[in-house]
Amino acid sequence: MPEQRATWEVIQFFYESFIFYYGVSLLLVYALLAILSFIAVRRFLKKERFVDYEEITWAKHAPGVSIIAPAFNESVTIITNIRSLLTLNYPRYEVIIINDGSTDDTLEKMIAQFSLVEVDFAYNERIVTKPVKRVFKSTIGAYEKLTVIDKVNGKSKADASNAGINVASFPYFLCTDVDCILERNTLLRMIKPFMEEEGKKIKEVGEPCPECGYRHVVEDNRRVIATGATLRMANSCEVEDGVITRIRPPRQLLPRFQEMEYIRAYVIGKLGWSMINAVPNVSGGLGMFDKEIAINAGGYDGKSFAEDMDMVTRMVAYMTSNKLKYKIKYIPFTLCWTEGPATLKVFGRQRMRWGRGLFEVMSMHRRIFFNPSYGSMGLIVFPYNLFFEFLAPLIEATGILYYIYLISAGHINWPYARILLVFAYSFSVMITSLAILWDQITFHYYRRWTEVLGLCLMAFLEPFIYHPLIVFFALRGYFNFITGKKHSWGNMQRQGFRPAQKTKEAVV
Amino acid sequence: MNIPVQTDSFFERFFRQNFFYFDRYPLVIKIAVLLTLIAVITILVAYSSILLRRFAAYLREKRLHAIHPHIDELLTEYVLLNEDAMMQVPVEEVRLQTEVFLSRQFRKRWQKQALIDRMIHFKKNVTGDISMLLTRVYVETGLDKFSMSKLKKMGWSSKVIGIVELTSMDMTIADVTILPLTNSRNRTLRAEARNAYIKLSKNDPFKFFDVTMEPLLMWNQLELFRTITTTEGLSIPNFARWISYSTNKSIVAFCLKLALHYNQREAIPSIIHLLNTRDHYLRADTINCLGKFMAEDAEEKLVHMYFNQPVNCQIEILKALGRIATGNHLDFLKNEFLRSTDFELRKNAAKSIIRHQALATQMIQELLSNATTENALILKHCMNPLIKY
Repeated sequence: MPEQRATWEVIQFFYESFIFYYGVSLLLVYALLAILSFIAVRRFLKKERFVDYEEITWAKHAPGVSIIAPAFNESVTIITNIRSLLTLNYPRYEVIIINDGSTDDTLEKMIAQFSLVEVDFAYNERIVTKPVKRVFKSTIGAYEKLTVIDKVNGKSKADASNAGINVASFPYFLCTDVDCILERNTLLRMIKPFMEEEGKKIKEVGEPCPECGYRHVVEDNRRVIATGATLRMANSCEVEDGVITRIRPPRQLLPRFQEMEYIRAYVIGKLGWSMINAVPNVSGGLGMFDKEIAINAGGYDGKSFAEDMDMVTRMVAYMTSNKLKYKIKYIPFTLCWTEGPATLKVFGRQRMRWGRGLFEVMSMHRRIFFNPSYGSMGLIVFPYNLFFEFLAPLIEATGILYYIYLISAGHINWPYARILLVFAYSFSVMITSLAILWDQITFHYYRRWTEVLGLCLMAFLEPFIYHPLIVFFALRGYFNFITGKKHSWGNMQRQGFRPAQKTKEAVV
Repeated sequence: MNIPVQTDSFFERFFRQNFFYFDRYPLVIKIAVLLTLIAVITILVAYSSILLRRFAAYLREKRLHAIHPHIDELLTEYVLLNEDAMMQVPVEEVRLQTEVFLSRQFRKRWQKQALIDRMIHFKKNVTGDISMLLTRVYVETGLDKFSMSKLKKMGWSSKVIGIVELTSMDMTIADVTILPLTNSRNRTLRAEARNAYIKLSKNDPFKFFDVTMEPLLMWNQLELFRTITTTEGLSIPNFARWISYSTNKSIVAFCLKLALHYNQREAIPSIIHLLNTRDHYLRADTINCLGKFMAEDAEEKLVHMYFNQPVNCQIEILKALGRIATGNHLDFLKNEFLRSTDFELRKNAAKSIIRHQALATQMIQELLSNATTENALILKHCMNPLIKY
């Protein structure tokens, strides 16, 4: 009996020590990210001050960009959203809409509205997808940028996006959701990081060929392979003709929590990581990619539940395996607004899919862990994702169970427990508050200070309401992955956007 | 024997006073308390900063909102609607009441800045005499010195602001001041200095092409291209000079675009010579440029070199043959269309055949009737006017 007790005490000691060091390292990582992202925001704003995007709008040497937007049963909003995509500020781009076997009248509406006709299109299947049935072009000159693909449903956004990549004519492509609203200068802002690196640089290596005197030439530049920008919730924003006219934090609780979470994830997380070139993921909602690298890496995985993270991982793996230098950059500006799930059912489904996707990526690319040949992806991104993203819900869950055990066994030291809980709580609120501050430094998105305050309030409520939900759904996602339970994608059940109001509001 | 006296640090005293048992806490708890305190302070600072920043922005906007209409009124009355200027009096002789811009309202730094910003705004929207009058007001009110002082500051961003203001107001900056900045290590400063140099240098606006060691990034090329092509009265040199002799590849690539834009056909021999470069990216740009020039002289060489080239250069050669479209190499294009295993090469060969129009009508019919399903689809794709790419 005393032996058993001693063993139990040893286990307790190790568990408690592990939790302590785990917690401290997590907080240190967050603190470091907050500092890095602050530097990134300051640098970005300093440089951005001198850029006149309007002047570049008509630049004839700008590289072409293909916008790829899959659509599945988007009949309600499809026309407005395509119109919005067709009015972006950029000299050379095309819009590719992929009708992924919609069962409603999405395709019919597009055909009627944009006078589409079927064309003989030479489809080059560089990435394998479900069959493409037809390709449509508009007979109206004003819509010449528009291409619509009708394909067999591939049961994933990834498959539809891959079909879009196959059709894309330009060297860069922007992946987005057809229900997303993009800021007018999105393409200009997102192509800039690609054009700011010294591209197309070569160096000669090895001995000259004895016959022709030529030496082998290899690429010697740091190639930007992807860029991303901040996303926000469009739930309570006012929209007119597919353009955001008034930005507001969502009025409903769940989307408002998501807005706060997105700001933290993008402004502190991804921006901080981009400072050390260790961006783990470029969001599926808005990301611009180098087409050549994306195709060489195999495009999106049609079967993956985290297709965006999976593709970035493969693109990085491709670059590092071929000893090519790369960069993934993030922009602190919000360039995309999307409708966040407003009901617990849809939200839960989304988060379970994310949890499942994370598990999948972790297991699929396990060879990358601590593998120095994959550079920062192997030594920073994957270990971070494993310990602080993937394991976090599991550790939190065991921590709660352990707490319950300590309470029921009367082993808890309440004064110390209270201090530690207040510590964890205040640190969590601090990181979110800093994220909101950095976001406000970037741009005053909300017109009224009360709206900012409303968002700040979420930071205080998050640990009690929102965070437990995220942990719960992530664990369910893991469970579903392990048990192989089939996941249905389901419909997002769009509520549509608020029309612009013609009221005058006080501005502070 | 001396007994060491233990002195309390500030933190220990503070915590003992506020947390009675702090001394007896384990290290972990002590750290947690300390970090909690830091977190609470940071939260308070963060929210105060948010409110203060918003309030400061509100005040700034309010101030500008009040002064902008006044500035606009003065500029309209004394410059835009200047009686002398309307009577076609030469700019130098126009009577300007600059004292109104030197009043007490424009003594503070932010007021001067607001005045400069509005002048730049007006300047962008006017040309000719009125534009020159605005420059006169800028100089006679001493605002040029205010901008110039920024150029002498240490920080790169102040320098850039100074350059932008002076450039926008068409002021001359001495070569000795601006030229070193065109090679600055800071990308933004370097780019702005290059733009300014092109716009303002009276002697040799393209001189920095000779001295620049740093690469001309693609984004900067867009900005510079716009500056060069929109600056009035700029004497355009023969860009073949840099195409032939510059060791900076980005300058060569940029000069190819400029030579094409100004249709400098005399540069074609230099461009053909550049086909021998070992850099396949630059070679692809060169082939593209020759195609757009419709340089018939280059056709033979392009076909001759085709099979030794990487795919990006091969695609450019096929495109160039379509643009030149003499019809001399239609059989080559046909063979490439039928023979190549690469989809992009076949597509570009087909496009180039179709670009030959009347010269290739018979060949297209023949290919359509004999081609495989995929090749026929490629041809139809390229022939469809609705499909642009």
